[in-house]
Amino acid sequence: MITYVSAGLLALLALSIPVGIVLFLLGFGVDQFFSSFPLTRGLGNMVWSSSNSATLIAIPFFVLLGEILVRSGVATRTYAALDRWVSWLPGGLVHANVATATMFSATSGSSVATAATVATVAMPQAEKLGYDPKLFSGAIAAGGTLGIMIPPSINLIVFGFLTQSSIPQLFLAGLIPGLILALTFMAVAAIICLIRPDLGGQRRLFPFAQMMRALLDLIPIIVLFGLIVGSIYRGWATPTEAAAGGVAGAFLIAGAFGGINWTMLRDSLLGTVKITSMIMLIIIGASFLNFTMSSAGLGRELTDFMEGLGLGPTGFILAVVVLYIVLGFFIETLSLMVVTIPIIVPMVLAQGYDAIWFGILMIVLIEMALITPPVGLNLYVVQGARRSGSINEVMLGAAPFALVMLAMAFALIAFPQLALWLPNALQ
Amino acid sequence: MELVLIDRLRRINRAVALLVGLGLLGMAGFVVLDIILRQFHASFGGSEELAGYAMALATSWGMAYALLELGHIRIDLVRAKLGQGARAASDVFAMIMLSGVVVTVAMKCWPVVERAIDNGSRANTPLATPLAWVQVPWFAGWVWFAFVSCALTLCILSLLVRGQAASVEARAGVFAEQDEFL
Repeated sequence: MITYVSAGLLALLALSIPVGIVLFLLGFGVDQFFSSFPLTRGLGNMVWSSSNSATLIAIPFFVLLGEILVRSGVATRTYAALDRWVSWLPGGLVHANVATATMFSATSGSSVATAATVATVAMPQAEKLGYDPKLFSGAIAAGGTLGIMIPPSINLIVFGFLTQSSIPQLFLAGLIPGLILALTFMAVAAIICLIRPDLGGQRRLFPFAQMMRALLDLIPIIVLFGLIVGSIYRGWATPTEAAAGGVAGAFLIAGAFGGINWTMLRDSLLGTVKITSMIMLIIIGASFLNFTMSSAGLGRELTDFMEGLGLGPTGFILAVVVLYIVLGFFIETLSLMVVTIPIIVPMVLAQGYDAIWFGILMIVLIEMALITPPVGLNLYVVQGARRSGSINEVMLGAAPFALVMLAMAFALIAFPQLALWLPNALQ
Repeated sequence: MELVLIDRLRRINRAVALLVGLGLLGMAGFVVLDIILRQFHASFGGSEELAGYAMALATSWGMAYALLELGHIRIDLVRAKLGQGARAASDVFAMIMLSGVVVTVAMKCWPVVERAIDNGSRANTPLATPLAWVQVPWFAGWVWFAFVSCALTLCILSLLVRGQAASVEARAGVFAEQDEFL
C-alpha cells in the first residue's frame, strides 16, 4: 500500500491534477484495493469533521492579518525603518531584506506572501543603489521562507491539525530555530560581502535621531507580534483567538497609518477566501487519505516496511531528509508537506522521534524546497517583482542560504533541544 | 457563449466569496468581543462552536471561487513543457477528474445531512445547535461547488473541441504564481 500510494501520488501529480483532488483519488484507490470494508461511506463525515474546526479557522484569520498589513502599506514603512537600523553592516540593504522578511514572518503566516511583500518594496532600491542583483534577490527569497517557521505559521497549524500535536508547542519550538536562521542568513551575507565588497552596496550609518524616529514605525508590528505570540504562550488565548485579535490589531495599525479603504478591504477578503479554500481542499483530501490508509492497516504495513529497510533511527531520519530535498525540487511546499504527512509522520513516530521536533525539521526542509529550483515558489515570486534579469541570478543568490538551511536541518538532528528546549522550559 | 457563461459564474462567485470573507471578518470580530467580555467574567458562550461552523461554511462556499480564480494548486512541471493544445487538453482532463471527485464528495455529504434532518440531531455542546441548521447550508456549498465545476468542465470541453486552446488555458490553466501577490 505504501508503494502504491507513493507511486500513484507522483504519477497523478505529474498529470497536473489539482493536489487536493489527487489525495481524494488515492483515498478512493486505497478503499477499492486495500480495504475489506467500504470506507467511502465515511467520506461525508470526514469532510464535515475536518472543516468544522475552530482550530483551522485560525488559517483565514492569519491570512487576512497578513493581507491587511501588506495591502495597507505597512510593509513599505517597515522596510524603510529597518534600513535605518541594519544598513551599517557589510552588505547594507541586504540585511534590511532579511530583517524585514523576519519581521513579516512574525506577523503573517505565509512564506510566499512574505517574499512577495519584501520583494515589491526592496527591488527598486537595489537598482537605485547599485547592488549585485544575485545576492540581493537571493536574500529576499531566503528571508521570505522564514514565514513558515517563525510563529504564527500556517504550515505549523496544518501540521498540528493533521498529526494532532499541540499548535502552541509547535509555535514555541519554531521560534529559536527561526531566529537562528535569520541571524545566520545575515551573518552569511555579511561574510560574503566582506570577502567580495562589490556584491553588497554602500554601507550607510544613519544618525541616531533618525533611527529613533524609525523605531516608531516598527513598534506597532513588534507589539502585534508580542500580543499574538505572547497570548498563545501564556495560555491566555487559543491560536484562533490570538489570530482574531491579530486581525483587529492589523486593522488598528493600518488605520493609524491611513491605509484602510474599501478596495483594500475587498481585495484582502477575496485573497483570504481564495487562499483558505486552496489550503482546505488539500487538508480535507489529506484527512480522507489519512483515514483510509490507517483504516486499511497502515500501522502493520509500516512496521514491516521499516524492518525491511533495515535502517536504524538515525539512518532513517537521514533518508527522510534526502527524500524531502529530492521531492522539494519538484513539489510546491504546502502540498509537499500535506501529501507526505500521512505516510512519513507515522514512520518517524514509530522510530521513537518526537512529533513536535519532526514538525520543525520538516519545516526547515520545506523552507529549502521554497528556494531550490526548478520548483521553488519564492524564487519565482522574487523574480516576478524584479521584472528584469534572469531567474538564474535569483537561484544563484539563494544557494548560500539553502546551504544554511541544510546545516540547520543537521543541527536539529544532532541537537533536538534547539527546537524542544523552549516548549519544555515553558511547560 | 461558453465564455459568457464562465464570466457570469466568475462574477457570481466573486460576490459569494466577498460574503464569505465578510462572514469570516464578522466571526473574527465575534471572537475578539468574546475575549473582551471574558475579562469581565461574561461571555457569549459557544464562540468556539460557532467558529467551527463558520469555517465549515467558508470552506464549502469558497471552493468554487478558488476554482474559477485558478487558486487550487496543480503541479506544473510536466504540463509546462507541452504545446498549447496539449496543455489545454491537460486542463480539461484535470477538470474532469476534479468534477468527478467533487460530485462524489457532494453526494457522500448528503447522508450526513439526511441523518441530521431525520433524527433532528443536535450538537453535543452547550448551545445544542440543531445540526441541520448548519449542515444544510454547508451541503448546499458543496453542491454549488459540484455544479460550478461541472459547468466549467463542459464549457472548456466545448472550447477545446472548437480548437480554442488559448481560451481554455486562460480559464482553467495553471495560475502564474508570481502574479498572485503583486
